[in-house]
Amino acid sequence: MVKDGDYVAIFNSIHRVMEAERLLKAKHLKMLLIPAPRALAADCGLAVRYSEDVRGEVEAALAQAGLLPRDLYRKTGDTYQKVEGNHI
Amino acid sequence: MKSLDVRGMACPGPVVSVKRALETAVGELRVLLDDGAPRENVKRFAEGRGYQVQEEPLEGAFAFTITGAQRQTAAISGRAGAVVMLIGSDRLGDGPEELGRLLMRNFIMTLVELPELPDRMLFINTGVLLTARGSEVIEVLEALGNRGVEVLSCGICLDFFQKKELLAAGGVTNMFTIAESLLQAGSVVRL
Repeated sequence: MVKDGDYVAIFNSIHRVMEAERLLKAKHLKMLLIPAPRALAADCGLAVRYSEDVRGEVEAALAQAGLLPRDLYRKTGDTYQKVEGNHI
Repeated sequence: MKSLDVRGMACPGPVVSVKRALETAVGELRVLLDDGAPRENVKRFAEGRGYQVQEEPLEGAFAFTITGAQRQTAAISGRAGAVVMLIGSDRLGDGPEELGRLLMRNFIMTLVELPELPDRMLFINTGVLLTARGSEVIEVLEALGNRGVEVLSCGICLDFFQKKELLAAGGVTNMFTIAESLLQAGSVVRL
């Protein structure tokens, strides 16, 4: 479900993750709401998956709506690397 | 030796046919199949269930000889008979529609991560919206199909929602099969 190089955004509430999904779908950005991978702790158990090619647009839309994720990870091989930096 | 030819069959047809044949096969099963996805999926499915697979390249195809016995997962897990999942809605649980739809998608996506799967998933009523084009779980249902889960949608229901031509995962079934599956199942999980 999560391919190598995909991003997985973890939110801190079900309401925020649902709002993020509505927002990104309205903007026709390719994303998928997925069960948060077991390796990544998430209170609400859901995450938003998107790929590199839409990353900029997805994160800009989330930032504009005040819906940036709590944590962002990138799948590298079999592991998830936390993306540090100014996405939040 | 029982033999089976699944060449030219679209996924998940080869896995489903092999699964059925293995249920009644005594000793060895010989399968003729196409290279690519059918070859990989059938091999993964059979080995995942504890069988040994011997491959033999043929002209434009492959022949598998599947031997051994299915790993006794049923005895370990206490499972007896087929597990049939009846999905009667595109929502999981009562409550707000949006939450219900989200929970159902999340459930199906979680299922594919588990080692033990149902033998058959029957989609009825608005459940068929999950197997038709536009559903977000098509990819996951295909993955379940490739792991040997029979994904079947009620034909009447597809017709009612005008989704007959838009079925995107699994096959179409009728009420005879649905009723028989439920009555013959070792256990039924109703969602």
